[in-house]
This record gives sequence, C-alpha cells and structure tokens, in this order.
Amino acid sequence: MVACSCISYWRRAALNPDKTKKVKILWFFRSCEILNYLGAVDTRENELFLASGDGVGLANVNPLEVIAGKCNVLCISNDSRNPQPSDEALKRADFVFCRTFDVGKREVCNEICDKIAGVEVKLLLNKVDTAKHVKRTNEDLKDAGGTAIVNTELDPSGWDTSNGELTLKTNDSSLEKSRKENVDLKGSIEKSSNEEKSGARVIEGGNGMAKTSSKQENTSDSKVSLKLKMDSNEKPGKDVKVLAKDVEGRVKSPRESAEVEHRPVKKAKLDSSIQLSHGKTKSDIQKLGLNRNDGDTLASSPKVLVSEDASKAKNVKDSHETKDSHVKKPKLDEKPTKVSNGKNLKASSQICGEVVEVTRRPDADRSRWFKGLPWEERIKNAHEQGTLVLIQNLDPAYTSGEVEDIVWHAFNESCTAKMIQRTAISMPHIGQAFVVFKTKEAAEKVVRKLDEGCLVLANGSVLVGSFATPHLPSKKQTFFGHHSIDKLRHQMQREMKEAVSTSHCSQPNTVEYDMAMEWCLLQERSEFVCKKLFKQQEEEYDRINYLALASYQSGLIGNCQLKLGKISWMRSRS
Amino acid sequence: MGSTKDDQFAMFEEKVKRTVYVDNLSPQVTEPVLRTALDQFGTVVSVHFIPNYTEPINSSQCALVEMKDLKEAKSVISVISQFPFMISGMPRPVRARPAEVEMFDDRPVKPGRKISFTWLEKDDPDFEVAKKIKLLTQKHVAEVTFLLKHHLAEEEKLAKQQQEALKGNYKKYEIVESVMADGTARRLAKHYNMRVSDD
Repeated sequence: MVACSCISYWRRAALNPDKTKKVKILWFFRSCEILNYLGAVDTRENELFLASGDGVGLANVNPLEVIAGKCNVLCISNDSRNPQPSDEALKRADFVFCRTFDVGKREVCNEICDKIAGVEVKLLLNKVDTAKHVKRTNEDLKDAGGTAIVNTELDPSGWDTSNGELTLKTNDSSLEKSRKENVDLKGSIEKSSNEEKSGARVIEGGNGMAKTSSKQENTSDSKVSLKLKMDSNEKPGKDVKVLAKDVEGRVKSPRESAEVEHRPVKKAKLDSSIQLSHGKTKSDIQKLGLNRNDGDTLASSPKVLVSEDASKAKNVKDSHETKDSHVKKPKLDEKPTKVSNGKNLKASSQICGEVVEVTRRPDADRSRWFKGLPWEERIKNAHEQGTLVLIQNLDPAYTSGEVEDIVWHAFNESCTAKMIQRTAISMPHIGQAFVVFKTKEAAEKVVRKLDEGCLVLANGSVLVGSFATPHLPSKKQTFFGHHSIDKLRHQMQREMKEAVSTSHCSQPNTVEYDMAMEWCLLQERSEFVCKKLFKQQEEEYDRINYLALASYQSGLIGNCQLKLGKISWMRSRS
Repeated sequence: MGSTKDDQFAMFEEKVKRTVYVDNLSPQVTEPVLRTALDQFGTVVSVHFIPNYTEPINSSQCALVEMKDLKEAKSVISVISQFPFMISGMPRPVRARPAEVEMFDDRPVKPGRKISFTWLEKDDPDFEVAKKIKLLTQKHVAEVTFLLKHHLAEEEKLAKQQQEALKGNYKKYEIVESVMADGTARRLAKHYNMRVSDD
C-alpha cells in the first residue's frame, strides 16, 4: 500500500548514532495506489493524496539516499491557509493535491487537518517564498489583511477622520485567478474622542470585519481583526478607502516569513494615490515592492501613516488564527503616482533570495544573426581588453546560449558565452564557460558580484567567476612522444612527400610497439589518477552538501526546492 | 515547436552515439590526416577539433570524428583500444572513446530543461556553505591544473627516455652494420676461425 509517489516535503535529517543521514518522509499517494479506497471519487490525472491520520503508510524514516529527485507539488485546496497558486504555477506543477487520505480509516477526506505526523500542515501548503512564481501583492494584501492589524496614524495636521470606516479594497480584474481577488476590508472605526491627544498618537482600537469577495475564501477565515487607530481631530463620519490594485512587485508573504524564518521585516514601498473627498480617502496603491532588509514602509508624503509588520506574529502555531501584526509607518502619498509594472519587475529582479527562472533573454535570436570572429580571436581580444570572464561550476550540460541567458537574468548584462567543451581530461562536475562582456566595467561588476554574493543554481552549484588567462595555442608547440632519428630525417622527408598518411597499428615485434606500450601504460596511469582525483573531489563536495543539510536541521525550512535539488544532484552523480 | 526541438535533440543524440572522441593527437594532425586515418574503418562523416583554452599548454589535440553509423564508431574504438594506433608519428598512440554530449560545441538545448537560480542572502545559513563550495571549486580547478602539469612532465620524461633509448638502439644497429660493412667482422672471423658467411 505504501508506494512512494513523490516527496514534496522532507523533514530534518536527524543525525543518527551511526552517522547516517535519515529523512523523515511524509508520503503522498497516487490515485492509482489507493484505487480500492477511492470509490467513485473523481481524481485529476496528476492528483496526489496527502497521507493523514494514523497508521502504516503515513510517514517513515528513510536513509537520505532514497530521495530520488524533486518534483513540484502544489496545493490547490481552497483552504484558507493555502495561498492559491497562480495559473502559471499550476501549469508547471508536476502534481497537485487538495485532499488527504486517512491511512487509518482508509478513506479520502476533503479537509486537511492541522497536523500530520507531527508536522504542521501549513508547511506543506503553498508558500510564497519558496515557490518560484511571483505572487501578486494582492494576495499578500489579502494575506496580510487576514493577519494584520492596521494602525493608522494621522498627523496632527492630517485629515480629519474619526468614527469613520476604513475600507481596504484590493481590486483586480478577474476573480478566477487567485492573485486577483477583491478584498474588502471594512473596519468600523470607533471614534476616538480625545481631541487633546492631538499628537501623532491618538488611538482607538476597533474590530473590523474583512469581507473577502473571493469565492475561495471561507468567511470564517477571512475575519480579520482590524484595529484602527485613528487620530480624531475632526468630524466623524469619514471613510478611508484604500484602493490597491495592479501591484506587480515580487513580494514575500509576511506570514510565511513569520512562520518559517523569522526573517527581518520586509520593507514595502507604497506609492499610492489618495483622494480625499468628503472625508473619503481613496488610496490607489500602485506599487508595492518588498525588500527584506527593512521593516519600514515608506513613501513620500507624511500625511497618513500605515505600516505592516507581519513578521511579529505571535500565534504562529495555529494557522487558523489570524496573526497579530504590527503596523509601522508606511506613508501614503497624496498625489496619484503611477508606476509602470514593468519597472517594478526590473527592480525586483535583484532581490536576494528570490528564485529566478531563466528564460530566453529578449535579444537571444538577434545575437545569432552575425557569426562574428572565430572564438579564438574573440577570446584573445577580450582578454586584452579585460572583458573576458571565466565562469566555473556551471552544469556541464548547459549550452553556451543557456549560459548567456543565465548571465542576462542574473546581472542584466548581455554577453557572448562559450562553454568549454568537455574532453577526456576535464572535470566531470565543473562546467566552465568563457563569457565575453561588452565593457570592462560589466566584466568587473560580474566578477565582483559573484565573489561577494552567492549565485546558486537550482542544482545546488554556486557559480565562481574570475578573470582568467586563456591558453591560446601558440606557434611553438612541443608534442612529446613522436620521435624520429635525426640522421634519417632528411631522407625521410623525401619519402614523406610521397607518402599519403602514416597512420597504422603497430605490430607487436617492433621497438615501436614496446614504446607504444609504455605510452599506453602512462595514459592508463594518468587516467586512473584523474579518476581518483575526481572521485575524491566529488566526495568533498558531498561532504559540504551534507553540512548544508546539517545546517538545514536547525529547523529552517526555506528554499525546500533548492535543497532537494542538491540531493538529487548528489544522487545523480553517485 | 516543441516537437521539432525534441526531434532536433533526438537527432543530435544519435549523432553523439556514432561519434568517436580521439585524443593524444599530435598538433600536426589535420582534418584530412585524421579523415584518411579513420577511413579504413568506415566512412568518416565529419571531423571537428576541440579547441583547448583552459588547460595549460597541453599540446596534444583532441577531436570528434563522426562516423557513418554506430557500428563503425564501435569498430574504430575497439581497434584503437586493442592495438596502439599511430597517426602521423610514432610511438605515442592515439586514444579513442565514445563521444559525450558535453563534448559538442553546437549542441542543441535539451528540451524541457529549466534553469533557475537564486542569489543567497548573507544571513541565509546556506551562504557559508555556498562560500565553501566556491572555495572548493577553486581548489579543485587548481588541483586538476596541477595534475595535468604533472602528467605533462611525465610525458616529457617518458619522451626523453624513449628518445635516448631510440638513439642507443640506432647507434647499436649502426655499429653492427658498419662492422659488417667494412669487413671487420670477416677479418675477426678469420682470426678466430669462425664461419660468418650468410649461407
């Protein structure tokens, strides 16, 4: 019954007394494996069932080596704990799951309980951070909205709002896409009557209701406790309407960071357009980019202060609960500012920790139009101009074009690349490529960035960049191992002119054969030494990767896909 | 579009299978030389020399020789591995082995492969590991470079040794020949009363 379909989640590798690495694996079932218990339930082709309940087949501890590879599993459950995957992510997913299979009762159930085999189930649900796809901010707003307590502070000189209603509206065109949801947060705000507290901090707490117009959300889950702190300098009856729409930034879900990593708070920039008419504040949030390093949300106008700090969630354990979040001060701009989405995307491409998928760069085909100089000359010229960079530790299977794409995505620099072709003596695990940049500055920038930062490919290898001196074929070449007898040379030369080709197999009764055997011996020996060295090097690699796994044990479950990639990579080479 | 890419890659893989990788070639070996040398085992479709930019001046060349079919490629490899095979020079034999995908410069992109990467943050626990991996890579490259230099030195040593042996042998044969030629052998035979005539 317990047949392995797929491992989407693996827990800490516990170091056993015998020093072997073990992983605890929580199993999924393929529909064909539980066919007998399925009954008339319809299943998708690639649907999996998460094991749950108690009994055989739920989870077990395995040696690390059993992990054969990675796959992309998405949770498509409508559960409120689960951020809905985008269409694109759905297309890319190898498997999806939304139901569980109780191994004790042997039945399929639609609900996903909180804990399975001692594992928080929300770790299995979609995460914004680890997923490669870009989550729209709207989702996060929803997410954050579901968890955040919004503090709205008004400047003394600010607008007069009290006893108002704060409506947070996230607008988008299509309801189907999960990222495009309308979230209306209506918070009824209690009046803060204290006019004397006219400073920045006149505060009232109110509990609001968040209504989510999304069909996928349960109303019960979308209840948000909204505490609004309002400075009431003036009349009651004002509404604050915040309209956030079309936000294109790549954003981490604060919730996820709170759960998993306790990372520093992210910084959000809100450029919003706010209209104040008749006590209504309508803020059109155009852009929301998040940066991890900062906890503050900043924009230009000092009039309204709102901030979110979701990472200080206290109730992390229960995913049902809405989280407290602590709002710092984002400032909402008064003037309408429009930021094109494209710009935002570009800015976010430099963000650390983001998994970037490499696609064809825009001008990929154009660069093929002209053949250009032969590589030998190009490398020589580039070396003289200082634009030649040797990038190491690539996957040897990459093509030159793919290397160019990687460089384009990682550094925003166009270049021409040439993978070093493998020979019998090249390292099997380190792919190298010469990359020629347009300018010396670009080359220096890339080398510096690769040196300071760590660019990790999905297979776990870290790129190394350096200025290298290419070994160009020089005229004066000595090739050892071909001999001739000096006195016979001039005589031979005459004969050679008439000879066609002298390739032949040598016969065992000649001096030549004996010497050839010596060469064969030498060749074999050096090949053996090389193999031995490569093996040793791979072991060293694996040891470091094991260390990586050990650091992983400390409970940090981020970038799961990256880790699994490492393991599968190790497996494929052993 | 996808299917044509698949086809393209399948065709390429087929080409890889019937290609032989040959190394330990003298720099004097040119395409026609290699072509004629291997034509005796079958039909050579194309010859492509692999340029060497990274390794220290290792003057031997390597090349990819595409044969007409898989059987011919196999026969080339088996003959060259069984007998020391000389191409334009003696006595260092060439080596042959099946070609690999990574040896080709113009290989098409493997369909369905997705590349992704990430910049690690400084506070990521993997950051240190990644740093270590970078150092390790540099170390490995240095090790291999050193090893290749060592091999080159050994080759040189062997070549010198063989050159000496060859000279010695040649000298020996010359002496023997001259002894026979100038009549010394005959005189000595007479003196010792031995028969040296070639009958």
